[in-house]
Amino acid sequence: MSAHENIGEVLPLWSTIPFAGMLLSIALFPLLAPKFWHDHFGKVSAFWALLLSIPFLLVYREVALYELLHILLADYIPFIILLGSLYAVSGGILLRGTLRGTPAVNTAIIAVGTVLASWMGTTGAAMLLIRPFLRANAHRKNRTFMVVFFIFLVANIGGSLTPLGDPPLFLGFLRGVPFFWTFTILPHMAVAAAALLVVYFAMDTYFYKREGGAPPDDGVKQPLKIEGWYNLFFLLGIIGAVLVSGIAKWGEVSVLGVHRGLQDVVRDAALVLIALLSVIATPRTLREANEFTWFPMKEVALLFAGIFLTMVPPLKILQAGARGELAFLVETVREPYHYFWITGILSSFLDNAPTYLTFLNTAIGSFSPGLPEAEAIGLLIERHPLYLQAISVGAVFFGAATYIGNAPNFMVRSIAEESGTPMPSFFGYMIKYSVTILVPVFILVTVLFFMP
Amino acid sequence: MNIEKLLFPTQFKELAFDTLETLLALRRVGLREIVLSYIIPREEVAFVPFGGYLKEEEERLRNEARIRFEDWQRVLSSAGIASTIVIEVGDAVPRILAIAQRERVDLIVVGRKRLTMGESLFIGSHTMDILRRSPIPVLVHKYMVQFERSGETVSRVNDRIFERPLLATDWSGPSRKALEFILSLKGVAAKALVAHVIGSKLSKGLEQSELLRIERESKERLEQYCAMLREAGIDAEPHLSAGDEVRELLSLSREFDASMIVMGTTGKDRLHEFFLGSVSHRMAERSELPTLLVP
Repeated sequence: MSAHENIGEVLPLWSTIPFAGMLLSIALFPLLAPKFWHDHFGKVSAFWALLLSIPFLLVYREVALYELLHILLADYIPFIILLGSLYAVSGGILLRGTLRGTPAVNTAIIAVGTVLASWMGTTGAAMLLIRPFLRANAHRKNRTFMVVFFIFLVANIGGSLTPLGDPPLFLGFLRGVPFFWTFTILPHMAVAAAALLVVYFAMDTYFYKREGGAPPDDGVKQPLKIEGWYNLFFLLGIIGAVLVSGIAKWGEVSVLGVHRGLQDVVRDAALVLIALLSVIATPRTLREANEFTWFPMKEVALLFAGIFLTMVPPLKILQAGARGELAFLVETVREPYHYFWITGILSSFLDNAPTYLTFLNTAIGSFSPGLPEAEAIGLLIERHPLYLQAISVGAVFFGAATYIGNAPNFMVRSIAEESGTPMPSFFGYMIKYSVTILVPVFILVTVLFFMP
Repeated sequence: MNIEKLLFPTQFKELAFDTLETLLALRRVGLREIVLSYIIPREEVAFVPFGGYLKEEEERLRNEARIRFEDWQRVLSSAGIASTIVIEVGDAVPRILAIAQRERVDLIVVGRKRLTMGESLFIGSHTMDILRRSPIPVLVHKYMVQFERSGETVSRVNDRIFERPLLATDWSGPSRKALEFILSLKGVAAKALVAHVIGSKLSKGLEQSELLRIERESKERLEQYCAMLREAGIDAEPHLSAGDEVRELLSLSREFDASMIVMGTTGKDRLHEFFLGSVSHRMAERSELPTLLVP
């Protein structure tokens, strides 16, 4: 089997309907029919995946089979393996001890989480810190804004610096963006994080004083302690495996007719092994104290199977640039700030990983239509890095703008609500926090980095 | 070892209330309070994909459980037994163990799993986890079971479980505690069966004289146990057997019509159990009788 280089030029626009349906399902079902969605999201995902796959295979046969297998083997499986291994390893680290939720302590926790997020993934950092953060503030009356800022920074913006940080960046890495290239986003991240931390500290100080200041001292003070610290070595193993796979070139192997770099296959195997070792090495009681469950990871795996499969036609059409049915989009989005805002706004509502790939393909379709993807990405980085920065920053930062922008958002929300912290509704979150706090920060980032 | 307070976690499966009713017999030997608990599985209410937490669903499940428990409480109250309700969200096994510790109960009673086609085991993985990890005695109740006997499927209702307990002893500390439990059943147990099996692993390669010595000592010990039981007002009879422990105990329990099995357990972890096996856990899995394991 081989790739059909021009399939994006012949695919009709309506072939993107399953993708749109999949993303709209993720956006609307949790809002309109949460119980139905909770019970049947796997079937919904399978429905859209089959709606695309069956006619696609019937019409394009070998080419369609190659494209579907390629996205599963080269993108989906590595993506899930990385998320799963980061989740398993970070779920084995337990922060114990007494933390008192003062403005300084809270700001410090969020700042630490922001730094950690790029190295253990936004999901990992969020899962590690959210429960200690909530426990530290259990006595506080106004806790909602704290969790919202936690989502902004730890579950999203903090993940900007490495492909481990946020799923979109890992997808970029899989397609040829160098591991350390994402460090070029450091200034953008530093500005956004600093601005948000200052706002957070001011808000927390205001509410802290209004609530009467110092937290009650119940006399029980346990020193801070990290249990399962050896998982930090497993984390280093994950970073090392991903890094090596980005540097080494060990030739290719054919898996079901899809050519994959041997270093990528070895990386995936190493990540699975590391996750297994973490599960074996970490006492079950420690994971239970972390309230660790595989359920959210299972959900992400099921949903993203549907997203990745249905994503094939839009990606191919966008790669065809002006010769594809989405030429109007390629021609409309021209400037870096266009890419930042359009990638960002769509990332807010359609999950940031597929949105990143969509606009990465828009950019390469615009600058290098018809070129093989890896080559086109290399040229984009060499000649137009600002565009890739705009796409990357837009996808990562705007994931914080809604609950559905990034997977860890819903996990943090769920844990906060379970522990009794009231969280705003979908629209309440957007209007009260995203529009008033995030959007001004994004305007600042635009003016500083993406305006001509 | 008196049972004054016990924990009864339930998922409201069929026959759960019948199971609870069989425990009322313990009132005559000191049972004063039952903690009724329902653990809402976190997966049912939390982590709505790209959503959040189903607060209303949790409330609904809590209310349903509370209504059912309140109905049960009326029966318990009329039997003179106090009760409390604990409803929590989380993972079943750690929550049950935590509640047992917090409430300082003397016994945890867990139910059997629903049998499916082709199964020959009477307990599921959650129950086995509780057995492995509980520092306090656990009764695996099996109110109604179906099992193969002489090639036929037999149904059995275990509704008078404390009448003829079979104590399977290996002379260990936990076995001794298991004996203490049966001693506390005076007035409830009509007769206790005290059994010991000289395991194949032990007897293999032994000289005849050594084997005879073990047999003699075992008989003496069995008699001592029976004497203690008779002294406490419970009729008792000794049974010595040899061979595969689990198979022999299953056979004895059937031949002498035991109503439950009581054993000590060393609470082996999964790895240990995988390599060395645990007679008590295998008995809990394979016996059609309620099995009380005392750590």
